[in-house]
Amino acid sequence: MKFVDEFRDAELGRALAAEILAAVEPGHHYKFMEVCGGHTHSIYKYGVDDLLPENVELVHGPGCPVCVIPMGRVDDGIAIAHEPGVIFTCFGDMMRVPGSNGSLLEAKAAGADIRMVYSPLDALRIAKANPDREVVFFAIGFETTAPSTALTLKRARAEGVRNFSCMCNHVTIVPPLRALLDSPDLRLDGFIGPGHVSTVVGARPFEFIPADYGRPVVIAGFEPLDILHAIRMILAQLDEGRCEVQNQYKRVVPWQGNLRALEVMAEVFELRPHFEWRGLGFISQSGLKLSDAYAELDAELRFAVPGVRVADPKACQCGEVLKGVIKPWECKVFGTACTPERPIGTCMVSSEGACAAYYNFGRFAREKEAV
Amino acid sequence: MTLDCHSDHCITCSDEGVPMKVLGVDEERVLALCEGEDGSRQSVEVALVDPVAVGDSLLVHAGVGLVRL
Repeated sequence: MKFVDEFRDAELGRALAAEILAAVEPGHHYKFMEVCGGHTHSIYKYGVDDLLPENVELVHGPGCPVCVIPMGRVDDGIAIAHEPGVIFTCFGDMMRVPGSNGSLLEAKAAGADIRMVYSPLDALRIAKANPDREVVFFAIGFETTAPSTALTLKRARAEGVRNFSCMCNHVTIVPPLRALLDSPDLRLDGFIGPGHVSTVVGARPFEFIPADYGRPVVIAGFEPLDILHAIRMILAQLDEGRCEVQNQYKRVVPWQGNLRALEVMAEVFELRPHFEWRGLGFISQSGLKLSDAYAELDAELRFAVPGVRVADPKACQCGEVLKGVIKPWECKVFGTACTPERPIGTCMVSSEGACAAYYNFGRFAREKEAV
Repeated sequence: MTLDCHSDHCITCSDEGVPMKVLGVDEERVLALCEGEDGSRQSVEVALVDPVAVGDSLLVHAGVGLVRL
């Protein structure tokens, strides 16, 4: 298959692994963060980390939108879902995220009309098919998903669909990266940049990382060779004393992003002053809400929501995992009290969550080549 | 869409797109009928990438074409 088979070629993978092995300095421990949960998933599915030398460590970043939703927002969603006459719609994984008193899936079992959709446009179709019901879409995701919600809201307004509204939990990628770079817990040598977020925002928003923090960034695709190639490119930057944003994923990511997507997002959304991230706390200007022009479609204004902040469960160490401070298997409840079937923390929910990726593909320690 | 949370690229959990081929275009509604690599078909919003033509490949995420491949 074009664009896939050639990026899974085992011979090329071994050649790249040999180049990486030759490029690392013995005695230096390299820590690279893969920002996007999609990369985490691919790394463990294909065993990319097994091809890396022992002194190259991949740290999993906060780029799984399910994993960063705090419990209080789930509680708010469930409160809306229980309102009489409401059809509550959301992406599938969101249904299993635990709130303080159960998940959306459990609320559905208790009688709330909660439906899984693959696109916000599906939620709008449900609204048009059920004019006597209030249909609410629980929007999550980074800049990849936000244009889809924005276009849906534009359509809803243009078509006069008055029984549709959106509870907006969209987040932006740059503020958490800045927060991580400011964190004293973490020393990173470089970043594998998010491939599909960059199709929308382009490469430019990541230029602050080399400029302000002196760390290289390589935007990468999701096939195993993409990830190995990106690591090779970061090592080349370090070796040559360069520090810049490079685009390994040129076959998909335009340097300037998708300007039309950015325009529609700017029309429909505005930045919240601050937004809570699971495990990371409140981060300034990191979340989106509907702009004044679209306030009539804002579910948080249409319905009464509790808006109560709920602390993460004590046993759960999602915050440390999201910051890359600990590995998933170092969490006290990993694989015992917390599993994909019965998650305590959000990182175990989504298949792109670091804990679920470890659980599904990498539970067992593997030997690595010592350098 | 046949993707679910156990497939390679789970559309419900974030920031991955899937390549799809355009089979037909409804210019008035800015929609295209697209087919994925697994044969699944989906109506895709193409406002961010139009004009599109039959045979084009798009990266699709959450029902929206984000970029022409």
